[in-house]
Amino acid sequence: MSLPAVIAIILGVSLTFYAIFAGADFGAGILDLLAGERGSDREAIAATIGPLWEANHVWLIFSITILFSAFPAAFSALGTALLAPFTVALLAIVLRSVALGLRASPGGRERSQVLLGRVFGATSLVAAFSLGAAAGGLAQASGARVGAATAVPAIPWHGLLALVVGALAAALCAQLAACFVTLTVARLGEDRITERFRRRGLQSGACVLLLSVAAVATAGATAPALSDRLMGAALPIVIAGFAIAALSLLALARRWYAIARGATLVTAAALLWGWFVAQAPHLVGARVTIHTAAATHAALAAIAISAGIVLLLVIPAMYLLFSIFARPMLEVVE
Amino acid sequence: MSQFQLAAISHLTAGRSQIGTSLSFHLFFAVLGVGLPLMMLVAEGMHLRTGDPVWRALARRWSKVFAVLFAVGAASGTIISFELGLLFPRFMAYAGGIIGLPFSLEGAAFFLEAIFVGIYLYGWNRLSPRAHWLSGIPVAVSAVASAFFIVTANAWMNVPRGFQIVHGRVTHVNPLAAMFNPAWATETSHMVFGAYLATAFGIASVYAVGMLRGRRDPYHRKAISLALATAAILAPLQVGAGDLLGRTVASHQPATLAAIEGVTRTEPGAGLNIGGFPLPGHHGDVLNVKVPHLLSLLAFDRPGATVRGLDSFPKADRTPLAPYVRLAFIGMVGIGTGLVALSLWYWLRRRRGRSGPEDRPTLMAVAAAGPAAFLANELGWLVSELGRQPWTVYGVFRTSSGITTAPGLGATFTAFTLLYIGLSVLTVWSVRRIASRPLEGLPSQALAAA
Repeated sequence: MSLPAVIAIILGVSLTFYAIFAGADFGAGILDLLAGERGSDREAIAATIGPLWEANHVWLIFSITILFSAFPAAFSALGTALLAPFTVALLAIVLRSVALGLRASPGGRERSQVLLGRVFGATSLVAAFSLGAAAGGLAQASGARVGAATAVPAIPWHGLLALVVGALAAALCAQLAACFVTLTVARLGEDRITERFRRRGLQSGACVLLLSVAAVATAGATAPALSDRLMGAALPIVIAGFAIAALSLLALARRWYAIARGATLVTAAALLWGWFVAQAPHLVGARVTIHTAAATHAALAAIAISAGIVLLLVIPAMYLLFSIFARPMLEVVE
Repeated sequence: MSQFQLAAISHLTAGRSQIGTSLSFHLFFAVLGVGLPLMMLVAEGMHLRTGDPVWRALARRWSKVFAVLFAVGAASGTIISFELGLLFPRFMAYAGGIIGLPFSLEGAAFFLEAIFVGIYLYGWNRLSPRAHWLSGIPVAVSAVASAFFIVTANAWMNVPRGFQIVHGRVTHVNPLAAMFNPAWATETSHMVFGAYLATAFGIASVYAVGMLRGRRDPYHRKAISLALATAAILAPLQVGAGDLLGRTVASHQPATLAAIEGVTRTEPGAGLNIGGFPLPGHHGDVLNVKVPHLLSLLAFDRPGATVRGLDSFPKADRTPLAPYVRLAFIGMVGIGTGLVALSLWYWLRRRRGRSGPEDRPTLMAVAAAGPAAFLANELGWLVSELGRQPWTVYGVFRTSSGITTAPGLGATFTAFTLLYIGLSVLTVWSVRRIASRPLEGLPSQALAAA
């Protein structure tokens, strides 16, 4: 396997971790918005994501540094073509982190806590949607094998496919979060709260399934080149994704919460990798591929080594973090 | 044609203003992100050693403030990593493959930091006191490592090494040579010392204000003496690092040195301008004292060495902002000198009595030192960034070549400026909210006892 392909896979893995963990964080915001006045639900959400969200967020920064170090031309083209949706997503991500950070700090009055919660929820939705829309537009522009000869292609981030994928991303985030929270509160024996989040999981899971069908259909209608690849090289992943999305619904219906969470995580991963395979080896549009955009061999080797160091250091540390906070504590920890 | 030119200039100005605003906003949080973990560790360690609850109360209070600052700092750092591509995509297409190594390593350091920040901040009640203290060490170490890696990338922009340009394409990249360019050691140490100093004076400043308002208790005294002890150790080191960095600039960025030192014409045995404010209509001679041969001696170790003046560079290759570079430099050095003097004063006075001087003038000076130390950090970055113009990569890549071709930078600049104003207000509000809470685990008689 060539070095650019190795780095592209590392990038894909890093993006997958971002999508599933930060996706669950975004989803937590969406659920928080839906929780309305129910303080117990909001506390359950906060207790689930509390110590973990900052670390999840780092996957994004890590993905970006890999992208611009290993494939500088692709980073450049993406930044130019997606200035608008990325700026919106960025503003939303920043506002939500800050709102969440401030809400978690002690001593707030009820009114300001509610306002911060609303900001956290609304910006989570915007972030998930605009990142999804950017991905949908990018997939549409990059499925095409012939196209404009410019290095910076037009990316239809406001086309129909982009909007459907944006909505799909938001629904998937909500389902991820619902599964995480359900599992946490079920272990605490909070049956009424568990039931409410289970229902949210079922609702969002149904949306995920419907929107996935809609996305495949829209791709067939508006992006035939992408559709051919989805039905070709990526077909096994697409089929597996649909099967596992259905499994996650079944598991929620049967109250197999651990399985539901696992299946939703795999659904998210399948969605991403279906997209990756469908547009590989292209990164942005018809011209920028992992080979044409790659940095020099020495630079790629350095990145591969430092990515290895990251995994060596980060995985045990992550394990430590998750194991320390494995036993949830619902009471507010100062 | 002229209209297009005007549009192109304001497009570039908008992009530069946006990234400049982002960097100066982020710097404030980055500085505290490097400095506060060390101060928390020391305070918590003092508690482990002495059992004095005041130290623990200080560490816990700082850790709550740190939680807010870390959240905002991580967010503003994310903005910058995006903005590199959104505002200067052509620069990143050029440089991304050369300075990718320090950025990837910074990703690793930030990762570890975020993980252990989670453990440290949420682990007060879950870990033993000793384990909790230990969990703070990776936070402090990886914070410094992050700053180190990012600053090596900046050092590369000042003294680019480790690559060749063949037919307009970047080739022969040596990532280690790029990272360990001739400026790496001096620039990183100057930044890290600067961050520790600003944090220390910032803490001293907050508690000096408290004492000025009449809260003269062990909680305030301990905070001030810890902060000023840190400052006293670091201030002389910072002077040394600054001197070495000046020599680096002198050997590798002659046009920047000329702007920094206010040298207009090339001269052998150049004197050092002390003062010399760049006012319009004057030639750098306002309130100036010129020490003969000192600049040549400081920069090149020879009193007779020739220092190139700004005039000797083509107009297109020297910074158009020379007066501001000079002003920022004077400000930074002036503040630094004042801070060294202040910490000397404090410790000389302290020797006589058991606790430090608590008269109003001293406390007011300490109160002013915090904001001044942060200002010095900001000014130092202005010197580095404005002093390098018109280059993004000194002598190799012009800032105007890096800016995005996408339209709408006026709008994004406005949006982000509003965001930063909002974030500043929220941060101040939130930190004040933390500060107004009573101290946990510290009965009021423990304070009254003093």
